[in-house]
Amino acid sequence: MEYGEIKIPKEIISKIEARLEETGFESVDKYVTFVLEEVIKEVGDDEPEEVFSEEDEKKVKERLRALGYLD
Amino acid sequence: MITVLAIDALEYTLVEKFDCNNLKQKYYGKTNISEFSEPRTMVLWSSFMTGKNMEKEILAKGDKEMWNTRLDIKDTFFDQFENPKIIDLPGFNYITDQHDQERKLLKEFFDVQSEEEKDQVRVEYNNLAFEHHRKIKEEFIEVLEADHDFILGYFSVADVIGHLNFGNRTMMKMIYKDLDEIAGSLKNQFIVLSDHGMEQIGIFGDHSNYGFWSTDFKDLDNPGITDFAEIIREMR
Repeated sequence: MEYGEIKIPKEIISKIEARLEETGFESVDKYVTFVLEEVIKEVGDDEPEEVFSEEDEKKVKERLRALGYLD
Repeated sequence: MITVLAIDALEYTLVEKFDCNNLKQKYYGKTNISEFSEPRTMVLWSSFMTGKNMEKEILAKGDKEMWNTRLDIKDTFFDQFENPKIIDLPGFNYITDQHDQERKLLKEFFDVQSEEEKDQVRVEYNNLAFEHHRKIKEEFIEVLEADHDFILGYFSVADVIGHLNFGNRTMMKMIYKDLDEIAGSLKNQFIVLSDHGMEQIGIFGDHSNYGFWSTDFKDLDNPGITDFAEIIREMR
């Protein structure tokens, strides 16, 4: 894969650097590439992000107990 | 050198969905774990390395003690190699302090009452898992350069993060892309293997009743997890 350069505000770079630790990304480049890929693919992707529900929580809690995660 | 990328809860449908071509290799599919009553991590990895169903033996230890299982190398196929390197494998040299802490936070998530408290615990839990993942990845990449005839790196991030975040598509995709990048960095022949996959319950994730495998040398069809001890012996 070939790479090019883009310019983005330093302020954004600093914010991304501060977030890297809690994302698992190794560099700002990889983070930005991933986010841009996601945005580009967003068009036509109507799958909703899931949200917390107490009913789901109850189900998964029972399953995790059965699997030995919660003693 | 033979390498095994042992990925907890790597889900077949997400490998497909996220186009993880390095994880898929030339041949890939689902493993058959129907001989087990439940897709339990410790039971499945112990059965993988011994080549026999270890469910009865592991469950006899009880839910708490089973996580401390440490099989002797002589009871595993690792013994067939002259200088094997195994990283963080459940049932062998699992880093118990780390994984005990993960389960403690998982329990805390369900124990706290408010959504705000749950969010705080989730962040702490995710950070703990990602930090561990980075350490394991670093160690794995280092040992690839050393003089080993067998390397197994166990990556727990898809399972640990998946339990509380499987409905977060962006986060799961980020993890799968990272695992795919690790597979892409391997130069020698390798097997990708998961103990089980994961199915969605809203934002959460539960273990699915099949695992994932891939190779670049043979179509294994629908193998049992206990078949891999022999498959790897034959690769030597």
